[in-house]
Amino acid sequence: MSSPQAAEAEGLIVVRGLEQNFGGVRAVAGVSFSIEKGRITGLIGPNGAGKSTTLDMIAGATRPSAGTISFQGRDITRLAAYQRARLGIVRTFQSSSEFARLTVMENLLVAAPRLRGERLVGALLGRWYWREEEQLAVERARELLRRFEMTAKEDEYAGDLSGGQKRLLEIMRGLMAEPEVLLLDEPMAGVNPSLARRIETYLLELHHSGLTAIMVEHELGTVERLCDPVIVMAEGRVLRQGTMPELRRSREVLDAYLIG
Amino acid sequence: MNLLLPALGFGVVTASILALAGVGFSLQFGVTNILNLAYGSIMTSAAFAALLVSQRGVNLWIAVAAGGAFGAVFSVALNRVVYTPFIRRGTKLFGMIIVTISVALVIQYGIQAIWGASFFSLEGLHASAIQLGPFVFTTTQLGILGIGVGAMIAVHALLRYTTLGKSMRATATNAVLARNCGIATDRVIDIAWAISGGLCGLAGVALVINVTAFTDTTGSDLLVPIIAVAVLGGIGQAYGAMLGALIIGITSEIAAALISPDYKDVVAFVILILVLLVRPKGIFSEIASGKEVAA
Amino acid sequence: MSSAWQFYISSVLIYLGVDIMACWGLNLQFGYAGLVNFSFIVFQAAGAYTAAVLTLGRPGPASIQQYLGGAHWPFPLPVLAAGAVGALLAAGVGAIGLRRLRSDYEAMVMLVVSLIATSIATNQTNLVNGANGLDLVPKPLAGVLHVSALSYQWFYVAMTAVVCVLVFLLVTLITGSPLGRSLRAMRENERAAAALGRNVTGLRMLAFVVGGGIAGISGAILVMFISAWSPGSWLYPETFVFFTALIVGGSGNNMGAVVGAVLVPVAFLEATRFLPQFGPPGFIDAVQWIAIGLLALVFLWFWPRGVVPERRRRFPRARSQPAATGGGRLEQNSP
Repeated sequence: MSSPQAAEAEGLIVVRGLEQNFGGVRAVAGVSFSIEKGRITGLIGPNGAGKSTTLDMIAGATRPSAGTISFQGRDITRLAAYQRARLGIVRTFQSSSEFARLTVMENLLVAAPRLRGERLVGALLGRWYWREEEQLAVERARELLRRFEMTAKEDEYAGDLSGGQKRLLEIMRGLMAEPEVLLLDEPMAGVNPSLARRIETYLLELHHSGLTAIMVEHELGTVERLCDPVIVMAEGRVLRQGTMPELRRSREVLDAYLIG
Repeated sequence: MNLLLPALGFGVVTASILALAGVGFSLQFGVTNILNLAYGSIMTSAAFAALLVSQRGVNLWIAVAAGGAFGAVFSVALNRVVYTPFIRRGTKLFGMIIVTISVALVIQYGIQAIWGASFFSLEGLHASAIQLGPFVFTTTQLGILGIGVGAMIAVHALLRYTTLGKSMRATATNAVLARNCGIATDRVIDIAWAISGGLCGLAGVALVINVTAFTDTTGSDLLVPIIAVAVLGGIGQAYGAMLGALIIGITSEIAAALISPDYKDVVAFVILILVLLVRPKGIFSEIASGKEVAA
Repeated sequence: MSSAWQFYISSVLIYLGVDIMACWGLNLQFGYAGLVNFSFIVFQAAGAYTAAVLTLGRPGPASIQQYLGGAHWPFPLPVLAAGAVGALLAAGVGAIGLRRLRSDYEAMVMLVVSLIATSIATNQTNLVNGANGLDLVPKPLAGVLHVSALSYQWFYVAMTAVVCVLVFLLVTLITGSPLGRSLRAMRENERAAAALGRNVTGLRMLAFVVGGGIAGISGAILVMFISAWSPGSWLYPETFVFFTALIVGGSGNNMGAVVGAVLVPVAFLEATRFLPQFGPPGFIDAVQWIAIGLLALVFLWFWPRGVVPERRRRFPRARSQPAATGGGRLEQNSP
């Protein structure tokens, strides 16, 4: 699946020596890797390997105890989560994080970047100042809803959606934010198999249209079909990196899974 | 120096009351995860319960015990009858805050409606003075010190040496994890309400026997220092709250002696603000700070 | 209508205007941004004191009341200054109280701020005359208008209405915009809002400061009418009246805030005024507070979204009629 133009040079996101300590527990103990543009990088490993914590640190939800994170060559270790999102590092959450008492459409519009009516001055200038641009965002959101077959749910409160629909909304919202890189934290967790397949197909389509993503996932079949390369973590460290078939042959990886 | 020594003595007595109230408040908030803003009014109602009992002519210490028991029973009932049903009904965090402050108003003004806005006093001890080293204490003050120290030793023993105490500490640190580890959190929470409510009741009675007269707002008036104690110690950290009570009790009495008694609360407030600026989770919350992220 | 009734009704209307403004300010903070500001009344108080001090003039050494500063500013300026002071104070309190604390911590800190503010205003007697408070605040433009007391009442009603309209404009421009949507998103899930590029700290501050400014203005309008203001007028339970109003009326909806202001602080508290006095002194007061607390509990239990719940926002489709709401089903079948 790897494209020829995948340069070996500086990746889109480069993580160096990342560490995270929670009150004496080392959740992540020195992780380094690099994410390349146009690829979906899988992040796998047994429970407690530090995958989600690593994702949290890249997204800016928690600050690393040590190490650096750079994005497009710029050090972003000290940036707040919202600043990283504005640069294009957008994440989804493992547990449902919908804005329950906003409609599906509103959930998507919140993610639309750089709206004029989003600033205090813009809002005070009134509807005529931001309406047209908002309408464009609405159209874009409708496009996404069509693509994810959720059009009928546009005006429903997100809190009233089913678990699976909330997962879809989570991904759509991430896409609405026009990400340079999407951080997917177990996008199929707790979803029935048929919906999981649908999500997989959507992600594959997105991948073909150039999406860059990091995906934490447990289901190895999904990882195999979607991710290249795959990073295996165990006990807070990177164990190996490679394609899924390569990793399947690795003794180390098998051990980690069996023991973990 | 003439002012400082008695202030130190008063400070230790105030600290005992604050320790009772602060440890109870901190445990309650930490273990049950409900910010019970009715805490101050429950203190007052326990004081009135003790007053009712003592008016029957019983020994003051029985009245004190009755106040503690009242606080425990009332708190458990309040949780069972009001708080838990609201949570089951899906009331969110900030809805619950409104629920507890509504309850606070109902209790506080309920007391005012029944007893009126006048002064009461709970007496029964001969106010003889006793010299202890450089300090002079009244028997009442020594009694309060005794209740405070005794209760703190009991809390310590409970948390340190019993399974129940360990369960409570675990629940305070991470309720979800505790439940997954097989701790019957519902039972733990019931008992946590009883213990924290008992401390709350004892604090209420201790508070009113320390002053010559009290009113329907005496308990609520202590809310600022109680919150300061709990935040300084780190929410859910009993030992933190004990230390916090000592610091705030003594500094506020010294400030009262050196500057003006009106500024007792302001000292607590300034400490609270400083803690919030430097370590929003409290100064003794090393463990608790990890819990937020891990949860 | 007899002039006594006219006096009564115009006074009630002025209180209503003040309460509506305050409810809008708190609604922006609580209903939209999800901030549990238990010190809201402090910002109204700050506005009231500001307006009073800026109209009373400098106190002489023999004055019956002592306070900081003092000036004779012409009419609309004290009101504007009150708004500015409310907003500035909110910025200061917010800088400490809104530091990414959980909303229960935040509520706790705000409650403490309210208690401390009362204690400082009471004990620091040279600040705003201590427990006695400020009195004899002159009525705005009374010297210029030369009208009867009754006409002046109605003039004040009109002025309050104008200020209400301005505040309403400010509030709806914010709540009806994408900015208002972000505030509600933050209320629902702060983490997710931040992950989508919303500056949560900034949004919280914004709602807090604008709400504080509105509270300040409402305080100014109130004090210039009743002409006296003391720590007893703004004890912390007063904030709770506004919270109850929002819960009853419907938080997250500016019309709900109006309904709440009509029902709770005005209708409910005015109605008890006509009850026969019985019981010991303070009994009726206490019963009133108990009722307010119970009212909040009853509504939170049975109608947590209030009489006028938050509105569901629908977005018109470009091609079909703007009012068509069932469009979603048609779209489903299109390729």
